[in-house]
Amino acid sequence: MIPFAADVSFRHRDRRAWNLWIPLAIVWLLLLPVVILLLPIFFIACIVGDVDPLRAIAALWRILNSLNDTEISVNKPEQSFSVHLY
Amino acid sequence: MNENRRRILDMLARGQISADEAERLFAALEKEPAPADSATSSDAPPKAKPKYLRVQVDEEKADSPRGPRKVNVRVPLQLLRAGVKLASVIPAQAREHVNDALHENGLGIDIGQIRPENLEEIIDQLDDVVIDVDKQNEKVKVRVFCE
Repeated sequence: MIPFAADVSFRHRDRRAWNLWIPLAIVWLLLLPVVILLLPIFFIACIVGDVDPLRAIAALWRILNSLNDTEISVNKPEQSFSVHLY
Repeated sequence: MNENRRRILDMLARGQISADEAERLFAALEKEPAPADSATSSDAPPKAKPKYLRVQVDEEKADSPRGPRKVNVRVPLQLLRAGVKLASVIPAQAREHVNDALHENGLGIDIGQIRPENLEEIIDQLDDVVIDVDKQNEKVKVRVFCE
């Protein structure tokens, strides 16, 4: 399943911490028309680059699907940053 | 009803043992662990299939008064599998460039030869890898494991 939300948080020792909850489901819906518009260009680029476009789409879809539950956090003494996709 | 209980009841029915003796035998049976249970307890519990690859980096600088830096990355193993499959989509020309770049950096890997089975083998072997990097003033500990 593709990630439907992202939790981004940033904390700095001297500044206010902020947490951002991004509803990715809405982002995907907004991007859908753009993707459909760009699809012919993607197909042409794949043919020029000697890549099977269907296999490329399948591979990209698989990557998008497996992004769910990815977590990255960087903690420094003065600041910290974390991203969680779910 | 298990075999031992049936045997005790048979002996009681035939008059070979008294009711008190049968009761004592039943009590002894309850104290004794079942053979099937003992067999399963001796076996190690089945190892759960890992779902994530975790990379933890702890960096400590001796002269830094601010404290340690930590990086924690949790990536679903599915993403790595998808990445391996993506490698097969890369056109031959681009693959050569990638291989050349890898060779230049001392990695003799041909990305065209990487198969999903190879990744599974690595995951099976990757219980807990700890790499300690000691530089002049800093100590970096990289821990890679599947969970």
